[in-house]
Amino acid sequence: MKRIRLRTLEDRFYVTFTLLFFISIVTMQIVSFRISIQTVSNNNAENNQILLSQLVSQINAYLGSIENLSRTLAQDPYSQEYLNTPDPSPELSRQLQERFSLALQARDDVSGILLARPDGNLIYGDPTTPLAPWANLYSRTWIQEALANPGRTVISPSYVQNLVENRYAWVVSLVQAVEVPNQDSPALLMVDMRFTRIQELSMALVNGEQGYPFILDQEGNYVFHPTLQLVYSGIKTEPLDKLRTFIPVLASKPPGSLESWVSGDQRYLLGRSNFSGWTVVSVSSEEELMADWQVAQVIFALIGLVVFLIIGWISNYLAQSITRPVHRLQEVMRSVETGEFTRAGVIEGTDEIRELAREYDLMVTRISELVTANAREQELKRKSDLKALQAQINPHFLYNTLDSIIWMGEMGQNIDLVKMTSALARLFRISISKGKELIALKDEVGHVVSYLTIQEMRYKKKFTYELDIPPSLERCQVLKITLQPLVENAIYHGVRDLDRPGTIHISARNDGESLILEVKDNGQGMNPDELRALGENLDQPLEEVWEEAPYGGSPSSGTGVRNVHQRIRLYFGETYGLTLESSEGDGTCMRATLPLLGMEEEL
Amino acid sequence: MGFISLLATLVLFWTLTIVIRPEREEVLNIGNPVIVVMKALAQPMDFWTVVGQGMEEASREFGVPILLTGPNREKEIDLQLRIFDSVLNQDPPLIILVASDYFRLEEPVGLANQKGIPIITMDSDVNSDVPLTFVGTDNVEAGKRGGYHMAELLAARGNPHGRVGIVSHNQETATGIDRETGVRTALAEEGVEIAGTWFAEVDQERAYQITLDLLADPSITGIIALNEVTTLGIAQAIREQNAQDRISAVGFDNAPQILTYLEQEILQATVVQQPYNMGYLAVRAAYYHLRGKEIPNQINTGSILITRENMFEREYQELLFPFAEMDE
Repeated sequence: MKRIRLRTLEDRFYVTFTLLFFISIVTMQIVSFRISIQTVSNNNAENNQILLSQLVSQINAYLGSIENLSRTLAQDPYSQEYLNTPDPSPELSRQLQERFSLALQARDDVSGILLARPDGNLIYGDPTTPLAPWANLYSRTWIQEALANPGRTVISPSYVQNLVENRYAWVVSLVQAVEVPNQDSPALLMVDMRFTRIQELSMALVNGEQGYPFILDQEGNYVFHPTLQLVYSGIKTEPLDKLRTFIPVLASKPPGSLESWVSGDQRYLLGRSNFSGWTVVSVSSEEELMADWQVAQVIFALIGLVVFLIIGWISNYLAQSITRPVHRLQEVMRSVETGEFTRAGVIEGTDEIRELAREYDLMVTRISELVTANAREQELKRKSDLKALQAQINPHFLYNTLDSIIWMGEMGQNIDLVKMTSALARLFRISISKGKELIALKDEVGHVVSYLTIQEMRYKKKFTYELDIPPSLERCQVLKITLQPLVENAIYHGVRDLDRPGTIHISARNDGESLILEVKDNGQGMNPDELRALGENLDQPLEEVWEEAPYGGSPSSGTGVRNVHQRIRLYFGETYGLTLESSEGDGTCMRATLPLLGMEEEL
Repeated sequence: MGFISLLATLVLFWTLTIVIRPEREEVLNIGNPVIVVMKALAQPMDFWTVVGQGMEEASREFGVPILLTGPNREKEIDLQLRIFDSVLNQDPPLIILVASDYFRLEEPVGLANQKGIPIITMDSDVNSDVPLTFVGTDNVEAGKRGGYHMAELLAARGNPHGRVGIVSHNQETATGIDRETGVRTALAEEGVEIAGTWFAEVDQERAYQITLDLLADPSITGIIALNEVTTLGIAQAIREQNAQDRISAVGFDNAPQILTYLEQEILQATVVQQPYNMGYLAVRAAYYHLRGKEIPNQINTGSILITRENMFEREYQELLFPFAEMDE
């Protein structure tokens, strides 16, 4: 398996964050989803419990109020009189019936009131409806039960009351047997409560599409069921056998206790109305709850996804916010490789990165300062070298000249003496030339002419010189003391020891790009070895030349020439300098190439 | 990198949703409601009201929207034909039809079949193979139930062979035809002599008159009426003639008045249908069909023989007295 390598910081950040968050979100989601399910389930169950308890207490209260009515009627003086009189008068019967009738009108949830004497005479609440002659009151089991337990109120299951002809009313009857003095069997008081009230109360508990309640009596028979016909036809079934086992359990528990039982996806919640002994069963569908869960789950997943996306985006942003400045810093650093000291400047990022950038900037600034300082030092050194080189005027020449002047003085050659002394003075004036590096070609030529004047006087008739300087170039700027060493070389190594008259030709010309100064002699020239040695010498480091030709020593061949070459190069760069041409016996030509500089050009 | 992890996340969340998804029956998703074309729209507290209650219960339980339509009263065949026509244009997913005429609804039902609208017949069938199923009382069986009980009654009165007149409500209605067949089959089986069948054309007065004529014949020992109206007619005549001691009478249906006659022993028994179950099972069958389940081609909603003895048993009370209060 190929391992995914997380090379960059960004990838590591992103993947680590993402994984961590994903795991924590999923875990959190699962946990909170479970909790939510539990909560919803509990809420639902709690809700059902509350509803069921309410229904039970409503039924209790309801039946209680009917029982109160029943007791009131039983204690009523008219009722008492009616029962206690062996043969009640029609007047009494009428009055009692009126009272019952009033009670009926006062409570529209009561559909009938009946008081039956042990002898079979009876009073029915509604005088307008004759009792059906075929109706047998005593065939009902709850009547028998009431008669067997005088004083106790017996509550019937829901049934169709058929006492009145052509009227079939769904009722729940509260029956109590009333003891009558001097009678073997008790009298009977029955109050019929309309069953619709119980139905209405129960139907309020129909929750959701699948939830519904039903009521069982003490024997476990149906008092109410919303689809009883389907149940009796076997189209629907309730687990009655199981539910019946809860009836005694609930009866033994304190009032208000509830029992719960889950079968398949049906949850049965049972509560007992202690007053009636009925068991109220609330059926709710777990499946329906599951449907709600499913919705919740999708919502949870969506929320999780959204949170994850947001966090993913943030972590990506965070990772980039860390790595982006690093990348930028990296780019800036790379520029140093190319020699540019670019500063990072203000990089947006964390304090660490900003600090790093700042430190880097300090470092680069310092380096750049050092480099600049170094360059300046080099420049200074070069300048001092130049100065030193310029100062290197052969002292022998001075001694010799002075000796010549002394000699001339002794000899009384005043004219020559003046001429030489003034030439020497001019020579030095130009050499110094206010410390300037560059002087006009005219002055340089003047300088060399002064020199030649002195040498000409010293080496009488040994050589002649020619100047070929176009006036247009006279104002060109040249490095001072360029020509003199070349002429010196031409004299000492070219024409001095010649047995024929030597000529030194000094010329200047403009070759279009640069200024060419040429010193040509017709002296003995150099053999190729000498020329090569001199040519190689030209490029030898200055310091070595320096050491080779200290002030005191006699200038070795080419020292001055080399000096010129090095100076030109130091000042103008590598493209300039000297070139030599020579052949043995034919003389030497030294050519200095300088940049063309106008008058205005100054260092 | 970011894209891949995002994709992986989506897939993970998706699988998570799938994995925890609980198994649940799909909710039926139909655009239009199932239309029920009734023979007659419910009058307060009658047979059709109870059918409607059963339908509503099933509609609620299975989540099938239903829409009831039809003529206001029975025997308005032309009106029902027009209503059926307009219902076809509403493009319902299914039609539950209570045919007011066994033969005349045949062609419209064929038309519905051409349009691809499934039909379920309820209570009263149509002379057609098109309907998916017939949901209703097996009237032959119901007739037999009445016939056998009549035989028992006659035997109890010491005249097992007797002579029984049948008062039918209609010669063309399937219920009338089937019930008569059932009664005749049962009586023939038990060796009871059948005096004949008289048709009252869904008219109580006619049934009453027929019964008076029958009562004039001293050989008649039993009368069977085949629907509510005829039952009321024969009971009325028997009570007026005070003939209950000599005539055994068995009727059909459970109008409060019929039940009172039962209590008064003018009628000895009545065969009742189960309208609540009928409505419930018809809508349930529609639901099953729309869900793609197989349904049997006949769904018998059953009939019950009610006598004075069992009429107040808890089991039958809801059936006989479907409403909180029944005043005549």
